[in-house]
Amino acid sequence: MKALILLSSLGVISLLAELFSFKKLLYPLVLLGLIATFVFNICDWNATNNVFYKMLQFDNYAIAFSSVIIIIAFLWFLMAEGFFKEETNLTDHYALVLFALVGAVILTSYTNMAMLFLGIEILSIPMYILVGSSKNDLSSNEASFKYLIMGAFATGFLLFGIALIYGATGSFDLTEIKTAISSAGVTPQIFYVGMLLMLVGLSFKVSAVPFHFWAPDVYEGAPTVITAFMATIVKLAAFAAFLRLFDVTFYRVSGSWGLVVWMLAALTMLVGNITAVFQTRVKRMLAYSSVAHAGYMLLALLAANHYSNSAILFYGTAYSIGSIATFTIVSIVAGARGDDGIHSFNGLGKSNPMLAVVMTIALLSLAGIPPTAGFFAKYYIFTSSFIAGNVGLVLIAIIASLIGVYYYFRLIIAMYFKEGNHEAIPLDLNHKLLLIVTAIAILVLGICPDFIIRLL
Amino acid sequence: MVTTYLFYFLSFLAIMFGLMVVLSKNPIHSVLYLVLCFFTIAGHYVLLNAQFLAVVHVIVYSGAIMVLFLFVIMLLNLNKETEPHKSIWLKGSAAIAAGSLLLVMVGSLKGATTIQSTNAFNPNIGLIENLGTTLFKDFLLPFEVSSILLLAAMVGAVMLGKKSIK
Repeated sequence: MKALILLSSLGVISLLAELFSFKKLLYPLVLLGLIATFVFNICDWNATNNVFYKMLQFDNYAIAFSSVIIIIAFLWFLMAEGFFKEETNLTDHYALVLFALVGAVILTSYTNMAMLFLGIEILSIPMYILVGSSKNDLSSNEASFKYLIMGAFATGFLLFGIALIYGATGSFDLTEIKTAISSAGVTPQIFYVGMLLMLVGLSFKVSAVPFHFWAPDVYEGAPTVITAFMATIVKLAAFAAFLRLFDVTFYRVSGSWGLVVWMLAALTMLVGNITAVFQTRVKRMLAYSSVAHAGYMLLALLAANHYSNSAILFYGTAYSIGSIATFTIVSIVAGARGDDGIHSFNGLGKSNPMLAVVMTIALLSLAGIPPTAGFFAKYYIFTSSFIAGNVGLVLIAIIASLIGVYYYFRLIIAMYFKEGNHEAIPLDLNHKLLLIVTAIAILVLGICPDFIIRLL
Repeated sequence: MVTTYLFYFLSFLAIMFGLMVVLSKNPIHSVLYLVLCFFTIAGHYVLLNAQFLAVVHVIVYSGAIMVLFLFVIMLLNLNKETEPHKSIWLKGSAAIAAGSLLLVMVGSLKGATTIQSTNAFNPNIGLIENLGTTLFKDFLLPFEVSSILLLAAMVGAVMLGKKSIK
């Protein structure tokens, strides 16, 4: 709860910066605020408290996920300093990003359908706007419009689902819904329809195939920093919500959503990875790879055993850190060379060894190769799925990751083995710091993943 | 008894107007049918003893939002049949997808039984007083949190609308 209050007040303060002209101070202020939020958030560890008539519950699950989100947000702010340079919209950008974070924290901790809906909307509406924030860029406008229309459509499905579940169980409260469906009486059929519609709505938010058609266009059209935000924080928050709803509340009826999620996971992994192979622009390739990663996380969601929570937390952390690093480098390289085609990375190993090394570490992590964090992330996901008995799905996942290795390595090969006579790209201090921190984090998490796995 | 007939009458009208929204070629006709559809839904609210909701529904949806719709259609000059033709494949797949959803809904509602309310019937349930008590007691946090949602939407609208200084 403290995290929620702090983040919302940070958002309001950043709006006031325009009025009282302390815009220069805002960047360090927001970074300090995020650190404070993290500290206050951690203080509530083990102190499970329900807030306001069981609307939010800050149990360890919520605190772990929201802390990871806040850390990723901190790294994201390091990455995105350039985004906050434009005078006119500076305070609005800060406020919208911070409000989106409020939505993300609500999604990790909700225990009521009303809060789920509000969380998704508070996260989505700033994203619709930020995607279109480079107003003179036509593809950014198109991405924003597409995201808004498709997002509104998906929210319609989600609301219809919530309404049907309310009709069947008579409650918005997750614990009461859980009791209603596990009691002796027959659950009305409309409950299952509602559950299916909610699955559609949430699958859209995590961009699972076949609800992914918006993702590549939106990820490509949006400013690269916003793409990084969507690929990491939005996805992590949506998965936290997904997991709370299906693995905790709807666990008893997992027989009726299991097959659907099985298909979703298999399709997401295969379609995401196979389509990524044919992309020539790095940003679009990473967009498809982000779709594919949602598929791996669905694997642990489907397993729904006591490994799932920690597996998804670890996978989400490893994937988000890797994505932040890759998107930072893509934005630096594309900014300097005016193009994000794979050929712009030719010879990066010679001209900018640091960029190339960090990019290699991050890509190896995304591909799941030891000793990086991505390897253990995939290992835990596959273990939890294997224990749950989904052997076939694990096989599909392994094939999909092998396809993934191909396109990640294409980029590494371009950086080191292809000739390119480009000049070295100058780096900001922020970006240097960010790249070093992410590279170390990926390696440390890859060597001792225990301290995140043991959290939940 | 009267309410049952009224229910079926209103439902018939609501479905008919809903179909007309989709089927009419002229966008202005669509919007006007939508207004009528909203009025029938407001009638349903009255039948469910939610008088306040019915009034708000008429004022906000049928009144304000639909007028806004009409303005937008007028300003964008969409009052002609300008909608591009969709390919037969798109139409076919949309019909199949929506048809299967309809089938699932009908199938699940067919087996539904009437749930008896466990609470005693309170004739004042739809009045503002009860609504206010619920909103400011059980649902206080969502009520407050929606202020962040509205603030974010407003900041965004201003941001997208203003010119850059230079």
